[in-house]
This record gives sequence, C-alpha cells and structure tokens, in this order.
Amino acid sequence: MNNDVLMNEDNLARTRDLQACIEAGDEKGAKEIIDDLTDIRENTLYQEVGKLTRELHDAISAFGMDDRISDMTEHDIPDARQRLNFVITKTADAADRTLTAVEESIPICENMETQAAEILESWRQFTKREMDAEGFRKLSKEIDGFLLTQSDGFSTIKGHLNDVLMAQDFQDLTGQIIKRVINLVAEVEGNLVNLIKIAGLPEHAENEREKTREKLEGPVVPGVDSGETVSGQDEVDDLLSSLGF
Amino acid sequence: MKILIVDDFSTMRRIIKNLLRDLGFTNTEEADDGTTALPMLQSGKFELLVTDWNMPGMQGIDLLKHVRADENLSSLPVLMVTAEQKKEQIVEAAQAGVNGYIVKPFTAQTLKEKLEKMFERLEA
Repeated sequence: MNNDVLMNEDNLARTRDLQACIEAGDEKGAKEIIDDLTDIRENTLYQEVGKLTRELHDAISAFGMDDRISDMTEHDIPDARQRLNFVITKTADAADRTLTAVEESIPICENMETQAAEILESWRQFTKREMDAEGFRKLSKEIDGFLLTQSDGFSTIKGHLNDVLMAQDFQDLTGQIIKRVINLVAEVEGNLVNLIKIAGLPEHAENEREKTREKLEGPVVPGVDSGETVSGQDEVDDLLSSLGF
Repeated sequence: MKILIVDDFSTMRRIIKNLLRDLGFTNTEEADDGTTALPMLQSGKFELLVTDWNMPGMQGIDLLKHVRADENLSSLPVLMVTAEQKKEQIVEAAQAGVNGYIVKPFTAQTLKEKLEKMFERLEA
C-alpha cells in the first residue's frame, strides 16, 4: 500500500474526528468515518491490482509468450471444459445403463428363486414318497413351466450382463480425455510459474492458500493431501466411538 | 419402513435405493437436495433419512440441523452417506446429531451393518 495515500491532512482530520466521536459516544459518526477510511484503502487496492495487471500484461508481451497463452485461454481451456463435461456425460450414462440392466435383472432372479424354492419343496415331497399321482402330474407341469421361464429368464439376464459389459466402454475414452486435460493443466501451471517469475511476485505462502480452500473437500484422492482426513469406514467408526457413539 | 433418500446424483440414489430394497426396505422416496427434502419430511411420515452432505441448494448437514430443530422431526433417525472424510466434518455431523455416518465408496455390507447398529441403539 502506498503511504502517500493514507498519510495526508484529510486523513489526519478524519482520525481526530473519529477520536472525538468515540469520546462523545457517537457510534454512528464513528462508523461513518471508519467506512470512509476503508473505502480509501479499498480504492487504493483496486488501483494496485490494475497496475499489477497492466505490468503483467506488458511482461507477457515482452516475453513473447502471449501467442501460446492466448491460444490456451481462447481455445485449449474451453476445449478442456467441453471434454471434461463429456467425461461427466459418458460416466453418468454408463452408470445409468448399468443400473438399468441390474434393476431389470433383479426381479427375474427373484422370480426364479421363488419358483425354484416351490418346486424344491414339492420335489422333496415326491422323493419322500409323500405325493400321489395327481400331485406328481401337477409337479411335472410346474417343472416344465419353470424350465421354460428359466430359459427365457437366463437369456434376458445374459442380455443385461452384456449391456453392463458394453457400458464399461467409457473408461477408454474418458481415460484418454482426462490425460489430455492433465497435460494442459501442467502446461498452464508451467506458464503461470513463469509469469510469477517475470512479475517478480513472491510465491504465495501456504497459509494464504489454506484460507481460500473450499470448506467441503469432497472425495479424498490418494496422493493429494487434504488435511486431517480418515482413510475409510473403520476410521470413521473409531472416531465416532471415541465421541461416544 | 418409509425411507427418504437425498443425494444430488441420481445414480447414487438408485444405488442406495436398490441396496435398501435388497435389505427388505421397499418403501423409499427420493429428493435431490435438502431444500426439496425438508417439505417432504415434514409432510411425509418418514421413519428414516439417508442423506448425502455435499449438495447444491441445502446441504446435508443443514438438512440434519433443520430436522433436529423441528419438533415433529427431531427424533427422526438420520444416516449420512458422503464422500466427506475430514475429521472435523465427521465431528460436526456427530455434534449435529447424526445417527450414522458412512463414507463413499461403501459396500452393501457396510450399509447393512450401520442400519442394524442404528436401529439397535434406537431400540435400546
């Protein structure tokens, strides 16, 4: 912050007024003066940011990098965004197809399970010779029907399993796309580091970064440090039981 | 038992719904965030809430706090199923009165165990 912005007669007068307001217990007056002072400070900050931006731009031009950088901002980054959206669509689509196949297979399995259990019971009766001729005729009809539905059911399930198999084809595509985006991010990172060097800015301290972090971390990614986290359900359970759960 | 499943991703809701059905809980409804879930809970006579944490609109933790603050819902069992694994968040959920906490990705077995444990404790 430039000293000459704050160190002037006007501000000296303001601080005297502020002192007078506080002594007189005039809270509204004191607040107004503090707001004024804050405004002055903020305006200076904006001017500084503006100046910095201009310097940065000049530095980039001087460095002769701006072709690649403007190419990245105009083309590569929107392109990467589109590609990542495509990854979301593809993975969501795969999950949907898989879930549909599973949801349609489960009732078929349940139906076959029930029928098999019924037939098994009748069959046990038959093997224990507790079944008359009429009962046996009924049983053989049931077995006949069961085998028929089994055959249909299995071919439907096989179709669904095939759907599940085919739904995994996203992995190949999304893997390639994500790799390309990782490369782009690395390139952008490299260029930004160069910019920081040109502008002569000190690299940001770690605690500055902490402050701007989002509160919710989302899924833990192996190798990416995200503070104090648990590494699975067992540790969650341990933590909760230490809290009296 | 009537259960409300709250998650912003429809695939996760479907997975939870299928797992619950497999455990014998067939009466489930779905909502995609806390803002949609709260009125459903207030009018729907639900007996269990299964909710994600990170959602647009009202987040799971705020939904939990609203539930605990509502005299008609305050004793509703709440199971949180979330990708949030920070210790301070788990502690926050516990302090807000969550009944169970499952981290994603999870297995059918984990869901079964946590539900059984929750109901055991509630009956005790």
